[in-house]
Amino acid sequence: MKLFAQTQLLEDVQGKGLCVGCGACVDLCPYFTTYRGKTAMLFPCDRETGRCFAYCPKAEVDYDEVYKARTGRAFDGTPIGPHLETYKAKAGEKTAECTFQCGGTVTALISCALDNKMISGAVLTDSEGRMPKPRLVRTSEQARDCAGSKYSASPTLSVVNQEAKRGVRNMGVVATPCQALAISQMKMNPTDKPDFEDPVSLVIGLFCTWALDARKLEALLAEKGIEGKIIKADVPPPPAEVFVVETDQGTVEIPLAEVREIIPEGCSICPDMTSELADVSVGQVEGDAGFNTLIIRTQKGAELVKTAISQGYLVTETLDGDKVHNLATASANKKKRALAKAKEMGLLNTPDEEGRAAMRVSEGALNKIQP
Amino acid sequence: MSQLYEGKKGEKVLFMGNQAIARGALEAGVSVAAGYPGTPSSEIIENLADVSKDANMYVEWSTNEKIAVEVAAAASFAGLRSICVMKQNGVNVASDFLLHLVLSGTRGGMVLIPCDDPGALSSINEGEARQFARLLEIPLVEAGDFQEAKDMLKWAFELSEEIQNLVMFRSVTRLSHASGSVELGEIPQTEPKAQFNYKGFILDPVEGPVVSVPVEYRHGLQQEKLKKAEALFEESPFNTYAGPENPEVLVITSSGATLYSREAIHLCNAKDKVGLLKLGTTFPLPTKLIAKHLKTTDKILVVEEVLPFMEENLKVLAQELAPEVGQKTFYGKRSGNIPQTGELNPDLVAAALAGILGQTYAPQDQEYQTKAAQQAFFNAPVRDLTFCPGCPHRASFWSIHNVLAADNRDGFVCGDIGCYSMAFLPCGFSSLKTLHAMGSGTGVASGFGKLGQFGLDQPVVSVCGDSTFFHSGMPALVNAIHHKSDITMVILDNSGTGMTGFQSHPGLPVDAQGNESPALDIPTICRALGATVEVCDPFYPHKTQQTFHKLLEMPGVKVLIMRQICALSPEKKGKKQYEMSVDETICMGENCGCNKLCTRVFRCPGLRWDEEKKTATIDEVICAGCGMCAAICPSGAITRKEVA
Amino acid sequence: MGTATLTKDPYNLIITGVGGQGNVLASRVLGNLLSDKGFSITIGETFGASQRGGSVMSHMRISAGESWSPQIPKGQADMVVALEPIEALRVLHTYGHPGVKVISNTRSIYPVGVISGDSKYPSMDELQKTIEGLTEQAWFINATDAAMELGNPIFGNIMMVGALAKTGVLPIDRDGFEKVMLRTMGEKKTPVNLKAFDMGAEMIN
Repeated sequence: MKLFAQTQLLEDVQGKGLCVGCGACVDLCPYFTTYRGKTAMLFPCDRETGRCFAYCPKAEVDYDEVYKARTGRAFDGTPIGPHLETYKAKAGEKTAECTFQCGGTVTALISCALDNKMISGAVLTDSEGRMPKPRLVRTSEQARDCAGSKYSASPTLSVVNQEAKRGVRNMGVVATPCQALAISQMKMNPTDKPDFEDPVSLVIGLFCTWALDARKLEALLAEKGIEGKIIKADVPPPPAEVFVVETDQGTVEIPLAEVREIIPEGCSICPDMTSELADVSVGQVEGDAGFNTLIIRTQKGAELVKTAISQGYLVTETLDGDKVHNLATASANKKKRALAKAKEMGLLNTPDEEGRAAMRVSEGALNKIQP
Repeated sequence: MSQLYEGKKGEKVLFMGNQAIARGALEAGVSVAAGYPGTPSSEIIENLADVSKDANMYVEWSTNEKIAVEVAAAASFAGLRSICVMKQNGVNVASDFLLHLVLSGTRGGMVLIPCDDPGALSSINEGEARQFARLLEIPLVEAGDFQEAKDMLKWAFELSEEIQNLVMFRSVTRLSHASGSVELGEIPQTEPKAQFNYKGFILDPVEGPVVSVPVEYRHGLQQEKLKKAEALFEESPFNTYAGPENPEVLVITSSGATLYSREAIHLCNAKDKVGLLKLGTTFPLPTKLIAKHLKTTDKILVVEEVLPFMEENLKVLAQELAPEVGQKTFYGKRSGNIPQTGELNPDLVAAALAGILGQTYAPQDQEYQTKAAQQAFFNAPVRDLTFCPGCPHRASFWSIHNVLAADNRDGFVCGDIGCYSMAFLPCGFSSLKTLHAMGSGTGVASGFGKLGQFGLDQPVVSVCGDSTFFHSGMPALVNAIHHKSDITMVILDNSGTGMTGFQSHPGLPVDAQGNESPALDIPTICRALGATVEVCDPFYPHKTQQTFHKLLEMPGVKVLIMRQICALSPEKKGKKQYEMSVDETICMGENCGCNKLCTRVFRCPGLRWDEEKKTATIDEVICAGCGMCAAICPSGAITRKEVA
Repeated sequence: MGTATLTKDPYNLIITGVGGQGNVLASRVLGNLLSDKGFSITIGETFGASQRGGSVMSHMRISAGESWSPQIPKGQADMVVALEPIEALRVLHTYGHPGVKVISNTRSIYPVGVISGDSKYPSMDELQKTIEGLTEQAWFINATDAAMELGNPIFGNIMMVGALAKTGVLPIDRDGFEKVMLRTMGEKKTPVNLKAFDMGAEMIN
C-alpha cells in the first residue's frame, strides 16, 4: 500500500469528486469531519503519511494486499468474492417485528451478536430527519430502531473511529462494500501505529449497487414535495426503473433516471457489489421480497449464522442456483463497469510517473474481469 | 492623570498629544465633549471623562460619530463651548450632519477634532479628514507640536466664535500618540449657563432657530465666514518661519510633518540654505503670508502626509499669485519626492530634501546595516499580528471556521472594524472574506443574503462587535430582517469597546463619566426586531458549534451572540481562570491524530512547541488561563484546573 | 536644570518589546523622570489594535534644548532597552550603529509564526552573541523570571528601567523614579515598583 496523507487525499479523492462520505477519514484527527452526509476538511495537515489516506477506499487501494490480509487470498476478480456458503434468509421468531428491508437478516444477525455478547456494540445507521446518522448501539432493542435501508451514503466509519478513540473494542459494523474495504485497511494497521488495537471484530456487509448523495437526496425529495417521515426506500427489480419512497403519508415513485443523477461519482469506480470483505454479506433476493440473500464468507460469519439459526433469530433456506447465477452476473458486470471507468479516469494501476491510482489490481484479476 | 486638571499655569509637564489636546479643551473652558472611540483619538475623551466631574463638564462616548457631533452641536446651539472627537473614519460617518451644521452655523465655540492615522498603524484605511475641511468649507488648523496641540485648540474656539461656525482641528497618530513637553496655561473657573434661543427672526444667527435654510443665502454666508477666517489666519501666531531670508529651498509643512522637516534640515546640515514655513492654518491658506514667502525662493518642497492636500491648494494659490511672485518649482508628492502613501519620518524628508539640494543622504553605516540586516533576517523571526492570549475572538472564529468548513457549502464571513478585523489573518483562521467600515459586515451580508434569486447558495455570515452593533450594526440588521435576507449575524460581545481600551457603550451599565446607566440588552433588541436569537459562550466550542450549525440551517435572519469578556478587560486582565498544563505522556504531538493542532493551527501565544520533547507546553508567562486549548486538544493532554 | 547632563544631545533611546509587556509604561516613567529634571522630551510610540501580539517600540529623544521628532532617524539610536531579545535585534537592524548599547531581557516571547512552526527562534546563546557583535556594549538580564518572583511578569519593564539607571548612560536616579511613581501610580503601588527598580539595578554589573 502506498502511503500518503491529507494533501494527497484531498487532491485524489475530494478533488476528483470521488468521496462517497464513508467516514473512514473522519474523527481520526481534528482535520476531517462529517456533517449532513458530507466529509469536510477543517484544517490542512502537513504530515507525509496519515491514516486518512491509508483507510480511504478510493485512494491507492492495493486489492491484492487487502484481500490477502483479510481473506488469505489474492484478489482474483471472482464475481461475488471469497465465500463459504450462500443462502436465502429471513428473521426468525426471536427477532422482534420491525420495519425491515426485505427479510430482516441484518437486524437478526446484529441482535443475535449483541444478545450473545459476541460484540460489545454495533455501529449502525439511524436517521436524523432525512440525514443518515450512524451510531453505536449496545442492545438489540436499539438495533431494531435502526432497521431499514437508508439508500444514502452514511459516514458510518466516523463512529467507528470515534468509539475506537474512546477505547471501545470488539465492535460490529454494518457496512457497505466501500466501508468493508476501509475497515479491512484499518485492520492492517497500515501506518504501523505502535499502540494499534483492532476495534472491529464483526462486519456485516450490505449489497450495494450505488448509494445516493444524502444532501442531494434530501433536496430531490423536497423538490418532489415528498413530506412526512420516510419509512423505507427501495429500487424494485427491472424493468420498473423507479425509486420507491415509502413515507408515513404514502408511497411515491421517482424515475430512476433522476435518481442516478445524485449518485456520487465515487460509486462508479467501485468493483464490489456484495461486500466481499465482510464476514457475512446480506442483500435482496431477486423477486422474493420476504427474504434476503446471505453470503457467509468467514468462519466468524459462519459461527454467527449458526448461532442465529439455533437460537431462532434467523431462518435460512437454500438459495436457488439461478438466483446465485444472476447475482454473480450482476456482480461481474459491476466489476467490469467499475474497472473500465477507473481505467478511463487514469486511476487504475496508474504508473508512478503518472501519479497515484485509486486502485491497484493484478493482471490475473484484470484478465478475468475484462474491463 | 491628575496633572491634566490640577497642573498649574506655568508648570512644564510631559503630555501625550491627546492629553495636551484635552488640557487645551479644559483651558478653553469647554463644557461638552462627545466622541466615539477610535485609535489614535480615544485618549482625548477618556482624559476629559476622568476629570469631567471636577471640571464641571459633560463628557460622553456617543453611540456613533454622527451622534457625537449632534450632541456637541446642541451644546454649541445653547451657547456652550463643545468638542467632538473621532478618528478619521468617524468624519465619514458624521459627514451628513456636518454638511448641514456648517450651513446653520454654530453659537458657542465648537471644534471638530479628527485624528488621522497616516500609515494606517491602527486602521484599515488611510483616509484623511483634511479633505472634509474643503468639502465642508470650514477652517482647518493643525498643531505642529505638543505645546501647540494645547494652545491652538484654545485659539480654535476663539476662531469658531468669531466666525460662528465649526472649526476643524486635525491631529495625527504621531502627535496624538506621541508625548512631549508642554507648558500649562490657566483653566478658567467659570460656570457657563446653557440656554437655547430660538424666538428671533429666522435669519438671526444668535436668537433665531438653527436651520440650514434658506440654503443659498446660508451658503453665501458660510463662504464669507471662511473668508473672515482666512483674514485671521494671515496674522496667526501658529504660522511660523525659521531660516534664511532667501532660502535655496523653502519647505512648507504642517502637523506632525513639522518635526520631521525640522530634523531633516538638521540631518542635511542645511540650516543656512533651507527655510521652514510651518503652517498651523492649512485651510483656507493665508494668501498674503504665502505670497510673502513664495517671493523669497524658487524652489518649494511641500512636506505633508498621505495625500497632496496642502500641495494642491498651494499650487492653485501660486498660479493666482504668479504675476506677483513669479513661476515656482514645487517638489512634493506629485513630483515623486515625497511618497503619496504611508507616514513620513525624518529619513524620508531628509532624502527628499537632499535630492533637491543635490546632496546624498546616507542615514546608516552601510557595513553595519548589511550585517544587522542579515542577522535580523536569520535570527529575528517576524512577529505577525495575532489575537491576545485568552482572546474570545480566537475561540469564536475557531467555531465559526469549523462550522462553515464542516457545513461545506462555501459559506463565508463578512466583517468590519474591531479587533476581529484581524480574523482575515491566520489568527482568525482566515475567516473574514469581506472587510470594510463599521457595521458594514452585516450590511454587505444583507445584500449577499438576497442573491439566492440569482443562484447564490452559499451560507452568509456577518460578524459585528458589541459596540459596533450599536454604532451601525443595528440599521443593517433591520434592513436584513425587513427584506427577509438569509443571513446569520454573529455578535462578538466582549463587553466593551475592546480594541480602543474598554470605553463604555450603550450595552454597558456605566457611561464615560462612570455614572450608572441603563444597559441595553442586545439579545432583547434583536428579538424585538424579529430575529431568531441564541446566546453562547465561545469558550465552549462544542455547544457553540452545535448552535451555530442549527442557525445556519434555518432560513431568514438569525443572530448568534458569542459572549465572553475581553481578556484585556480590567476585570480579567492579569487574572487566570485556569491553571493550564500539558501531560507530556498523553500529548500526541506530531503523530497522526493530532499533528500539533494547538500550536500549528490554533496558535494561541500562550502555547509553545517543545522541539526536543516533541510535545506542546504552556508558556506560563503568556498564558491567560482561558482554558480554550483544553477544549480543543484531541487527546485530552491539555488540562485545566480552576484557580482558587 | 540641576546638575544632570547628557553624554550626547539629543540622546536617542528606544524601548522595545512585545505588545502587553508594559513598553508604554516604561517609556512614560522614564520620560516623566527626565522631564522632571528639566530635559525636553519627545516620545513616539505605536500602540492600538495593530500591536496585538506584535512588536512595539517607543522612541525617546532626550535633549537639553529643543524638542525633536518622535521618530529617531535610522542608525541613530544610542541605547536600546529590549523587553524581549529578538526585538533588540530587530531594532538594531534599523536604528543601530557600531556605537549603540543594548540592555536586553533574556526571556523570549515566541512570535506566533514560531509557535506554529513556520519559523525558528534562535538559541539564547546565539542571540546574545549576535547582539554583542552589533553593539559597543550589551547587558543581558533575566528580568521576566525575576519579575515572576514579585508575582507578575509585568514588573519586568520596571526592572529594565532600574537596569538602565544602573548603567549610568542617562541621569536616572532612584529618588526621581520614586517621585514619578508616587505621582502616577500612587502610594500603594510604589513600594513594589521600587523593589523591581532595585532588582533590575542589581542585575547590572
